[in-house]
Amino acid sequence: MPTAIAGKKKTVRINGCVASAQAAKYADVDVIAAYPIRPYTATMMALAQMVANGELDAEYIVADSEHSQLSISHGASSCGARVFTGSSGVGVQFAYELYSPISGSRMPVQMMIADRTLDPPGDFGSEHTDALSTRDMGWLMGWACDAQEAFDNHLIAYRIGEDPRVLLPQMVCQDGFFVSHITSDVELPDPGQVKEFLPPYKHPYPLDPRRPVSHGPQIMPEQGPPLQLERARAMEECTPVIEQAHEEFAQIFGRRYDPWVEEYMTDGADVVFFLQGGHAVTARFAIQHLREKGIKVGMVRLRTIRPYPTDRVNEVLSKFKVVGVIETNMALGSVSSGGALYAEVCGALYESPHRPLVMSFMAGMGGEAIVLKEFYWMTQKMIDAQKRGKIEKRTHWVGFED
Amino acid sequence: MATYIQIDPTQKLDPFKSVKKLPLEEYFTSGHRTCQGCESALVMKMMAKAAGPRSIILGSTGCMYVANTTYYSTSWVVPWMHTQLGSSGSAALGTSAALKVLMRKGKIKNEPINVIAFCGDGGGADMGVGAISATLTHAEYNSLILMYDNESYANTDIQLSGSTPWGANTTFSSPGKVKRIMHRRWKKNMAGMMAAGHPECKYVATICMSYGLHGMNSIRKALAIGGPTFIHSLDPCPKGWDYDPYLSHEMGELAVNSGVWPLYEVENGLLRLTGRTEQIAAGKIRRVPVRDYLLKQGRFAHFTNDDIDYFQSKIDDMWEKWLIPGVIPFRRDVEADTPPSS
Repeated sequence: MPTAIAGKKKTVRINGCVASAQAAKYADVDVIAAYPIRPYTATMMALAQMVANGELDAEYIVADSEHSQLSISHGASSCGARVFTGSSGVGVQFAYELYSPISGSRMPVQMMIADRTLDPPGDFGSEHTDALSTRDMGWLMGWACDAQEAFDNHLIAYRIGEDPRVLLPQMVCQDGFFVSHITSDVELPDPGQVKEFLPPYKHPYPLDPRRPVSHGPQIMPEQGPPLQLERARAMEECTPVIEQAHEEFAQIFGRRYDPWVEEYMTDGADVVFFLQGGHAVTARFAIQHLREKGIKVGMVRLRTIRPYPTDRVNEVLSKFKVVGVIETNMALGSVSSGGALYAEVCGALYESPHRPLVMSFMAGMGGEAIVLKEFYWMTQKMIDAQKRGKIEKRTHWVGFED
Repeated sequence: MATYIQIDPTQKLDPFKSVKKLPLEEYFTSGHRTCQGCESALVMKMMAKAAGPRSIILGSTGCMYVANTTYYSTSWVVPWMHTQLGSSGSAALGTSAALKVLMRKGKIKNEPINVIAFCGDGGGADMGVGAISATLTHAEYNSLILMYDNESYANTDIQLSGSTPWGANTTFSSPGKVKRIMHRRWKKNMAGMMAAGHPECKYVATICMSYGLHGMNSIRKALAIGGPTFIHSLDPCPKGWDYDPYLSHEMGELAVNSGVWPLYEVENGLLRLTGRTEQIAAGKIRRVPVRDYLLKQGRFAHFTNDDIDYFQSKIDDMWEKWLIPGVIPFRRDVEADTPPSS
């Protein structure tokens, strides 16, 4: 039974990027592949300093592109190294070719994402489209809503991804600026706690001249489906591993996260927001205000989008009358003609006998903050739909309508 | 002076004295599906033999991936991994870095292991040139990038690459009724570019496996010297060059003897012409006319005499007008380049 070690834990005031760097340090990563792009780059700046100061013994490689970052990570992970890399925005896309090969060869590379809007027009602000566009590539994926959660997610993700039952890469995401550059208190654990939680990485089939193996051979069409099925199963069957990791994390570190969704003031709620990431912090505040006025609103925050907790989302959201999905991403020409989350929500709810109305809000686009009055406006739209018994339209661009 | 670069020890790989003294063990064996007369498969075989069993080999997408590592029948006896088309340089870098740190941290046994990444001319001279260039600047990581150059994207049905010779008929540059010469770019000078552009890279060489011992010893030198190294191998390709497969060996000899493919090495910054190329430069043997080389290949069958003369003049320039003949195309004087009208 794991026991909490008080030891040398300490609270520091750092932003999300530095929290991610700290997590990589505590995980004692072996190889770091860096390349600059805002806003994630502050993580790599912090790691460079840690390596220079001897706080972390790792190979710190400055790559020539994101594609190379991921290729370096692929090669290093194949030898059995614990690898840390990261990116933002178009950088995430430049590396796109490698996502499937890395998950297909079952290399638990970890990639930190601080979201950034895709080009055009060269907007620094946060939008989840960068990482979300890779969501079906076989990487575990989820968003943190503050620096502490970002720190914790990195450790939990390594623990899950490196589990021999899983062996999948992980994208550990946080909103650019709203999380990556907002400073808050973060509790750094005692190294002994991390040691207890995160065993050393040992890949079962590394590139080793003593036990030669061939990774990633060319296959015939009929050999493809079994391999794809194995990868699909790994993604499906990691559910108990994810739950166990969060449970043990709570016991060792004393912070308990529901692995799949955070429910906030959903008791007796009729309408709820459904979202990912840092805007949840403002949402909680808005909901407190609205609750004081007697409006039955709550929030369901998705913590893990891959693997997607279909049954859990179904079970949780079926309790409500209206679900307002806050997208913070673009999925042009998609089901709702808005963002990618809408289809994920509706897909999970299809089998529910008590399907709530679902509407999609394009808010927080381009890295704009979602302000309180926008949360109030969206709540009103949900209440109107509840009264009417149907939605006015699937997608609302918040700030562009009355 | 302080030591800034910590290069890990490499294996002792003395040159093979003669063909008769080669080890019998093969590390690239049966199981592959390369074409009859494939010179690149020979390069793989000799590369693995030269490197020996303590090696990790990475292969980027191309013929030598697709044809060599059929699932369940891999021809690699040493550990092998596929890397993406443009990833040979970066994957070698990551692999070498991982070995270094895992040995330092005591997670794996501390011993010299060769890291070789191979790429075709498409993966190397086109898509992956940036990553290879970057790797050659990371002086503390031991690796060899070997570019096997069969002068086209041969695995996808012979499309021209940045390494395809001027005028060649490929499926992206077939001569037509109006345009005879569709491919009007001159072949990229990869080895020269790598040597000139990466002063910390200790070894760059050109090889052709028609001269097998020379090629294998270049590979051994590249692996033993430490740090990142680069070898450019010219590989005749019966399918892409359109000649009878039994002529592969002869085609490589003609490429060297016509002066089209100069053999040289740059070791710790010192340039040395090698093999037959050294003899040509010293005036001991004369260059064979390029006509003899070109007209044996179907890909040049549409050439007129003007085209052949132009090709010959470019090769002559390389030998007579380049400041470093055959290596770096800097010239003494500015001259107009006038290709024949197509």
